[in-house]
Amino acid sequence: MTGSENRKTKDSGDNFFRNPSFYINRELSWLQFDRRCLMEARSRENPLMERLNFLSITASNLDEFFMVRVASIQDMAKGGYTKRDIAGMTAGEQLCAILKEAHSFVDLQYSTYNRSLVPALSQEGITLITGYEGLTKDEKQYLDELFETEIYPVVTPMASDASRPFPLIRNKSLNLGVLLSRKKNAGPGILGRTKKAKKQLRTETENLEFATVQVPSVLPRVIRLPAAQGEEKQGRARIILLETVIRENMASLFQSYDIVCAYPFRIMRSADMDIDEDEAEDLLKEIEKSLKQRRHGDAIRLEVESGMDRRLLNILVEELQLSMDEIFEIDGPLDLTFLSKVRKLEGFDSLFEHRYSAPQPVPELPEGCDLFAQIRKGDIFLHHPYETFKPVVDFVAKAAVDPDVLAIKQTLYRVSGNSPIVAALARAADNGKQVTVLVELKARFDEENNIGWAKMLEKAGCHVIYGLVGLKTHSKITLVVRREEDGIRRYVHLATGNYNDTTARLYTDVGLFTCKEPFGEDATAVFNMLSGYSEPRSWNKLILAPLWLKDRFLYMIGREAEYAKRGERAQIKAKMNSLCDPDIIEALYKASAAGVQIQLIVRGICSLKVGIRGVSDNITVRSIVGNFLEHSRIFYFENGGKPEIYAGSADWMPRNLDRRVEIVFPLEDETVRAKALHILDVELQDTEQASILHPDGTYEKVDRRGKEKVNSQLVFCNEAVLAAKKMQEELHRTRLFVPEEHVEETGD
Amino acid sequence: MTIHTFGAIDVGSYEQELKIFEVSKARGIRPVDSLVRRVDLGSDTYQTGKIRSGNVREVGDILREFREVMNNYRVTEYKAYGTSAIREMDNASMVLSLWEQRSGIHVGVLSNSEQRFLDYKSAAAKIGDFDSIISDSCAIVDIGGGSIQISLFSDGKLGATQNLRLGILRLYEKIRSIDARESQRDAMISEMVDSQLEVFQKLYLNNRKVRNLIIVDDYISALMQSRKMEDVPAAAFIEYVRMARDMSVPEIARRVQIADDNVPLLYISGVLMERIIEAFGTEHIWAPGITLCDGIAYEFAEKQKILPPSHNFEEDIIACAHNISRRYMGDETRGETIETIALRIFDALRKQYGLSKRERLLLRICAILHDCGKYISITNLAECSYNIIMSTEIIGLSHIEREIVANVVRFNHSEFVYYEEQQNMSDLDLDAYLMIGRLTAILRLANGMDRSHKRKFEDFGLTLKPDRLQINIRPGVDITLEKGMFAHRADFFEEIFGIRPVIRQKK
Repeated sequence: MTGSENRKTKDSGDNFFRNPSFYINRELSWLQFDRRCLMEARSRENPLMERLNFLSITASNLDEFFMVRVASIQDMAKGGYTKRDIAGMTAGEQLCAILKEAHSFVDLQYSTYNRSLVPALSQEGITLITGYEGLTKDEKQYLDELFETEIYPVVTPMASDASRPFPLIRNKSLNLGVLLSRKKNAGPGILGRTKKAKKQLRTETENLEFATVQVPSVLPRVIRLPAAQGEEKQGRARIILLETVIRENMASLFQSYDIVCAYPFRIMRSADMDIDEDEAEDLLKEIEKSLKQRRHGDAIRLEVESGMDRRLLNILVEELQLSMDEIFEIDGPLDLTFLSKVRKLEGFDSLFEHRYSAPQPVPELPEGCDLFAQIRKGDIFLHHPYETFKPVVDFVAKAAVDPDVLAIKQTLYRVSGNSPIVAALARAADNGKQVTVLVELKARFDEENNIGWAKMLEKAGCHVIYGLVGLKTHSKITLVVRREEDGIRRYVHLATGNYNDTTARLYTDVGLFTCKEPFGEDATAVFNMLSGYSEPRSWNKLILAPLWLKDRFLYMIGREAEYAKRGERAQIKAKMNSLCDPDIIEALYKASAAGVQIQLIVRGICSLKVGIRGVSDNITVRSIVGNFLEHSRIFYFENGGKPEIYAGSADWMPRNLDRRVEIVFPLEDETVRAKALHILDVELQDTEQASILHPDGTYEKVDRRGKEKVNSQLVFCNEAVLAAKKMQEELHRTRLFVPEEHVEETGD
Repeated sequence: MTIHTFGAIDVGSYEQELKIFEVSKARGIRPVDSLVRRVDLGSDTYQTGKIRSGNVREVGDILREFREVMNNYRVTEYKAYGTSAIREMDNASMVLSLWEQRSGIHVGVLSNSEQRFLDYKSAAAKIGDFDSIISDSCAIVDIGGGSIQISLFSDGKLGATQNLRLGILRLYEKIRSIDARESQRDAMISEMVDSQLEVFQKLYLNNRKVRNLIIVDDYISALMQSRKMEDVPAAAFIEYVRMARDMSVPEIARRVQIADDNVPLLYISGVLMERIIEAFGTEHIWAPGITLCDGIAYEFAEKQKILPPSHNFEEDIIACAHNISRRYMGDETRGETIETIALRIFDALRKQYGLSKRERLLLRICAILHDCGKYISITNLAECSYNIIMSTEIIGLSHIEREIVANVVRFNHSEFVYYEEQQNMSDLDLDAYLMIGRLTAILRLANGMDRSHKRKFEDFGLTLKPDRLQINIRPGVDITLEKGMFAHRADFFEEIFGIRPVIRQKK
């Protein structure tokens, strides 16, 4: 369709912009994102260990994608759900396309692994041994001992027959499937079956028995073989995977049997939890129950080592009720997340990325400063991980012991394993502060962790709340209420990222400290609302989903369109993780059609298509996949020369705008606004890590020709280092004691 | 700087609110936190006279939560009040005691006039140019769940105040009970409102226009506040209400940023206001966005002398009493005479007997209304006066204070009934009854000193002696009648104050 045709048609009705051909299916777009990560693993420009990391990330990403998204689409397809998505695809069509793309993706993953990374590792002195035939005598002896003393005691073979149902294969666990043949003159064997109960699995020509052995997750999967003398110093390592060792020792687990074959396999189960929150009397108990049920979720993907014995494969397929396209034959070790452990091998520092500095001190918050006093001077903007997350931890920790603090309130979505924030909250409660913590129990894959935190915090005396029925609380907000000389003052921290000190070193996020009264009032109202105390009637500054955040975004996008129609400068710059809300995309199309210049930085899913004439020809989309995971959400609206800039926890996705409690907050102070805008502008100039979305839905790295090299993450790192250095110099100067020089009077 | 952290609790008909305030001379009244929970008590009370046990328990729990929040803020003083749903409850005392037992919070019950007076006070405190607005024609429309209160001002003074049973929850319940179609809702609300407004207009307006309206409510004010519109032309307001009429509930909820449940009440508030604006010919609307809790905090600040009064509210109460007297054709001149004499006696006794400023105000009202019953019956003046006062709103007076005034006026004309004799007939406690005795003794004396209605005691002196109150009057005035009728009144005065009033006229 030509641009003029588009324009003609769009005037005839609002549905024009909802044409399915204008949209990209969100699942396929997600797979595109994982492909961009994979490209980083393939890129020889990245140091080897970073490439391993990227490949490992693609593997864990794909697992999560299957457990959540594919499972849900499969449910829809099985349930006969016929409604089409915005890209015009039914659930069945999506499933077909996803599986096709996923197979091709996995092929590329393993081609990267086998053809590129394994040789590169070997070149750098890291050898992955795939079988005992490659071992030296000493290495074999070492592994035999290791098996005897550490592995054998924790391995439990499980058989399947009429008296023992097919064993429960845990989600994501790595297993070895074994076909066994009973030795002649052997007793009942370790499978212990009576003759009567025995019902052997009938295979093609022989009576074989099936058993599984789970590769124990309590043991390290990557085993570094002891180095020959002096080898370690030379930066060499020989490694073998745990499953290889178990496989080689399989006979010792089934002594009355001959091992016919043994192959690794891994399954993925649906992670969808079905909780009726309205009916649940105790949400915590209900989620605990559902987590147990999740272990029994339907299998949705089976990974097997390529070349697996067909008889073994048939047993698995039959028992797990899988279709052929759900089987992934893998040409290499299953579950590439082990590569993240390979990264941890000692002695290979030179293979890492060293250009990115560690988190730097925040210039406004020098070490040892009075945090509250600094916030009183003006809003403070934090940009992680370039700037340290420590002030955020300190904010809670200092509040916990500050006698003037009356209350601390915080939302927790995902926290680190040994969270100093959680410890500080518990300490605050112990010190008699009113501590209210919203722990989101439904944070996917963190449910168990969060249940643990919730119980611990409750025990410590905190008022733990689980949020609003039917909504996940994804907002990141902390409120400290402090009694000061001139009355109660509220300090607020708002952020785009979780209160997780570990991920704060890896994810790019922004945060804001403020003690402005309107923000404080709103923060109080947020917690009153979340704790069910009240339903605020109006807000000063914060914009909340699912109440009216979407409306507000639609309004602001529409407002730009109005400016454009009047011939005024109209511009939107927005950065987020995902963009797939149909209403927002439609509004963006309308704005683009009206002449608004729209520059989007979307890390992951993007259902918007660029370059449709008369529809999206004023929209550009880029995705940055770099050393750190891009995670911040920043929104800029030109607003007729009075720009409005916001940051927040919400993406432009239906789940964020309609089904979660999210907070988007305005950035008001000029310095803060300048910093936020700088982030957008630098990322929009990135030539190194950015990929550009093309009209056909594919992404390609920025064409660098004629452009200055810009690696946005590196720019931010360097800027943070410089700013911290400047601050240190300032501090040094102000603290330096300079004795006044004696000036002799000359008498002139 | 002393900062009081004060908690104000409103146990309302459809919502329960806790507001935490910081009150200080330097920063005035500063709201710090506000919690609103929603338990519909009004629907129960208005229909059955009782609150169902589940709701009683729920409000008990809410109050307990409020208590915890107040503790967290280290609140030093608080006041909790129930309004119309509690007032109209048959078993209020039992429920209040249960709540106190459950939460440790004592909930008092505000009379309608007290409640409105608190709202009115905080509106006066919040609207910067309040005195200039009310100097033009103005009304405060205070919309509650059970009723609305319209207070009319002219020339900067309160002219009249009237309670109409047009509360939004009451209207909502009526519409629901009739099961009206959506298209009929507007017409039904308008009919219910117009019939009562018509009477109000006839009584108080006489075709006068009320140019300015101040709204005190929970919904329209919140809406206007959220739009940063504290005052708007009436035409713009009506246009907005009419536009909302065409929207669905979710659409309104989304647009005005309120929960779906609240939309019907906002809608009824809008229609109600539209009718009032049309009936009054209003040109401009103010919505200061205050709630009862703000009024409670204002009262606290005023009583603690932390804030200077923003307006002379006592004069409004007096103006209101004068209007009632006028409506019942009281003798204003004589009222003034009695008031003057009574206040002089009161002032002479004040220090010695520890009489309060509030008592003085009540005495003034008693003097103004001393003969209001004559309008109905000269022979049964005492009972008629009592009944008129008891059934008339006097804004700013509590129910107990109104009963004190009514009794003082009654006993001015009839035999005094002692506390022990009336215990089963009234809610008044001993302290209130002793006040009735004191004020009756003074009013009777003042009334007796103008027995002839000829203002013979315009010029007199008072000397307080250990055993007597000496009333000195100049020579030449014929006070034979007054002297003759004095003994009986002096006996009662002596019984109450322990000193005998004596008239001394120099020869």
